[in-house]
Amino acid sequence: MADKQLQPKSVSPSLPGGGRGKGKGGRSARWENAARGLYRFRSNTLSMIGLTMLLFIVLVAIFAPIIAPYPEDAAGKTRVTARLQPPSADFAFGTDKIGRDIFSRVVMGTGLALQVGTVIILLATTIGVTIGAIAGYAGGWLDDLLMRITDIFLTVPALVLAIAISAALGKGILNAMIGISLVWWPGFARLTRSLVLSLREEPFVEAAYGIGAGHLRIIFRHILPNAVSPIIIKMTTDFGFAVLTAAALGFIGLGAQPPTPEWGAMINDGRRYFPDEWWIATFPGLAIWLMVFSWNLIGDGLRDVLDPRSRR
Amino acid sequence: MNLRFYILRRIALVIPTLIGLSMLTFAIARIVPGDPVGLAAGPQATEEIKAALRQEFGLDQPLPLQYLNYMAGLFRGDWGQSLYTRREVIGDLRAFWPATLELTTTAVIIATLLGVPAGVISAMYRNRLPDHIARVLSLFFVSFPSFWLAMIFQTWFGLELGWFPIGKRLPVLVSPPAATTGLFLVDSLLQLDFETFFIALRHLWIPALVLSFGAFASITRITRASMVEALEKDFVRMERAIGIPYRIIIFKYVLRNALIATVTVISLNFGWLMAGAILIETIFDWPGLGLYAVKASLSLDFQPIMGIAILYGVVFSIVNILTDIVYGILDPRIRYG
Repeated sequence: MADKQLQPKSVSPSLPGGGRGKGKGGRSARWENAARGLYRFRSNTLSMIGLTMLLFIVLVAIFAPIIAPYPEDAAGKTRVTARLQPPSADFAFGTDKIGRDIFSRVVMGTGLALQVGTVIILLATTIGVTIGAIAGYAGGWLDDLLMRITDIFLTVPALVLAIAISAALGKGILNAMIGISLVWWPGFARLTRSLVLSLREEPFVEAAYGIGAGHLRIIFRHILPNAVSPIIIKMTTDFGFAVLTAAALGFIGLGAQPPTPEWGAMINDGRRYFPDEWWIATFPGLAIWLMVFSWNLIGDGLRDVLDPRSRR
Repeated sequence: MNLRFYILRRIALVIPTLIGLSMLTFAIARIVPGDPVGLAAGPQATEEIKAALRQEFGLDQPLPLQYLNYMAGLFRGDWGQSLYTRREVIGDLRAFWPATLELTTTAVIIATLLGVPAGVISAMYRNRLPDHIARVLSLFFVSFPSFWLAMIFQTWFGLELGWFPIGKRLPVLVSPPAATTGLFLVDSLLQLDFETFFIALRHLWIPALVLSFGAFASITRITRASMVEALEKDFVRMERAIGIPYRIIIFKYVLRNALIATVTVISLNFGWLMAGAILIETIFDWPGLGLYAVKASLSLDFQPIMGIAILYGVVFSIVNILTDIVYGILDPRIRYG
C-alpha cells in the first residue's frame, strides 16, 4: 500500500523510524517519511545555518517597530536637517535624500519582504496545485488542454510576463505580487500533475474509488496528502527567488511605490546617489541577499531530502 | 522515428503554443485596466484627440477583429507601432535583439565554463572541502539581486578601478562593425577588425559575468549530481581495473555521460538569463530588448511588449528544440518518439 512509494532508496538503520518496524499499525508511512526527511535535513549543516538566518530575519520582522530607532521613517517622515548622512551612531546605515534612517527602513521592510514572498508562493501554489491535480487526475482532453495552457506560460521567461502583467495592472506592490503569482504557477502545475499521475494508479486510490468515494474526496483526501512533501519543498526552494523577483519589479519601478520601505524600490531610490552616497542602495541590497541566501540554503538541503540521489 | 521527422513534429507542436502566447499577450495588453491611449496622448489631450489615436491604432474595433488584424500583421512582418516613438516594433526588435543575444550567450558561456568544472570538482571531491566550497559559493552568488550586484560592479570595477567601461556596447566614437549578425564580437571578427573586437569585449564581459551568476548554481548542481551518478556506473570500475588513468576516465567517459543532464539545464538557463538580462541591461545602459521592455512597460506601450513576448517565445522554443537535438547527439541511445 502506501508505504511502497516515496521511500528513500536506502535507509540506514540508524535513522529514526528506520528500525522501529511501524509499517503497519503504528505511525503511517507518510509520517515516517517526514521524520526521515527531517532527519536528513537536520544533519545538513548548511541548511541549519540557513534556518537560523531565517529565524533571525523573522524575529527582526516581528520586532521591527522595537528594533528600528525611527519606525516612523518607513512611512516617509522627512528629516531635512539630516539628509544624505553617512552611517554613524545615530543612523547605523546612514540616511537617504530626505533624511530617512536607512536602517529603520530596512528593518521595517523585512516583514513586507516576507509577506510578499508568502503571498506569491501561496497564490502560485494554489493555482498550480489545483490545475495540476485536475489535469493529472482527469487525463484525456482536459489534461491536454490544461497542459497546453501551462506550456504557454512556460514559453516565455517568467520575468518578461510578470513585467507585462504588472505593468498592465498598474504600478504597486499588490499588482506586482499578482503579476508574479500568475507566472509562477506553471512549475507547481507540472510538479503536481506528475505526482498525481503516479499516485492515481495506486491501489489505495482504486480502493477508495471502489468503496464509492467521490472524485473530489479522492483528490483531496487521498492523493494530495501523499503529494504534499515535494510541493512543500518546491515552495521553499522557490521562496527566495520570488522575493528576488518582487524586488526586481520594485527596482524597475513597477512594484512597491514610495514611500513603502520595499528593498528593491529602495535600491532604485539610492541608485542616483551611488557611489558617493553608497549606503542608500547598498544596505537594502545586502538585506535582500541575506533573505534569499537563507532560503536558498534551506532549499538546497530540502532538495536533497526530495531527491536523495542528488547529494550522496 | 527518424530525427528529421521528429524535428518537424516538434516545430508543428510549437505553433499552437505560440498562438496561445499571442492570445495571452494580447489579452494582457487589451483587456486589462489602464489607459495607454490616455497616457500616450498626455494629460491635456481632449476626447477627440484620444478618439483619433484610438482609430489610428485600430483600438476602436471589436477585440476579436483587433486580434485577427494583429496576427495577420505578424505574418506580414508588421508587428505594430510604438504608441510613443511611433517607430515600427519589428525594426526596434531587429535593432535591439542582437545586443541581448550577445549578452545572454556570453553569460551562458561564462556560467558553463565556471559551473561545469565546479560541478566536476565537487563530484570528484564529494563531501570534502572543495565540494562544500563550490556549493556555498554557487548559492552565495545566486542569492544576490543581479541588478544590485551589477550596480556595485559597475561603480567599483568600472568607475573606481577603471577596469572596464561602465555602460553601452561601444564608445560613442567607435562605429559598430558592419552588421552581418548584429553581434559585435562576431561581426568584428568576420571583418578581422580586432581592435573593435577587443573594445566590444571590454564592454561586454562585466555585464555578462554578473548575469552569469544567476545560472552558476544550477549548472554546478546538476553537473555534480550527474557526475556522481555516472561515477558509480560499472563501466567506470571496469575502466579503472584496466588501468586507464583516472583523469581520462573523468573527462573522456564520465563527463560525457554526465553532460546530458547538464545540457538541459544550460538551455533552461539560457531562457532565464535572457529574462535576467532585462535587469542587467537597465544598469549598464545596454541597448537590448530588456532596456526596451522596461521603457515600454513603464509607459504602458503594449505593442512593443507583445512583440518582445512573442520574440522571447519563439527563441525559447527554438532553444528547446535544439536542446533535444544536442541531447540525441550526446546520447545515441535516446530514440526520438
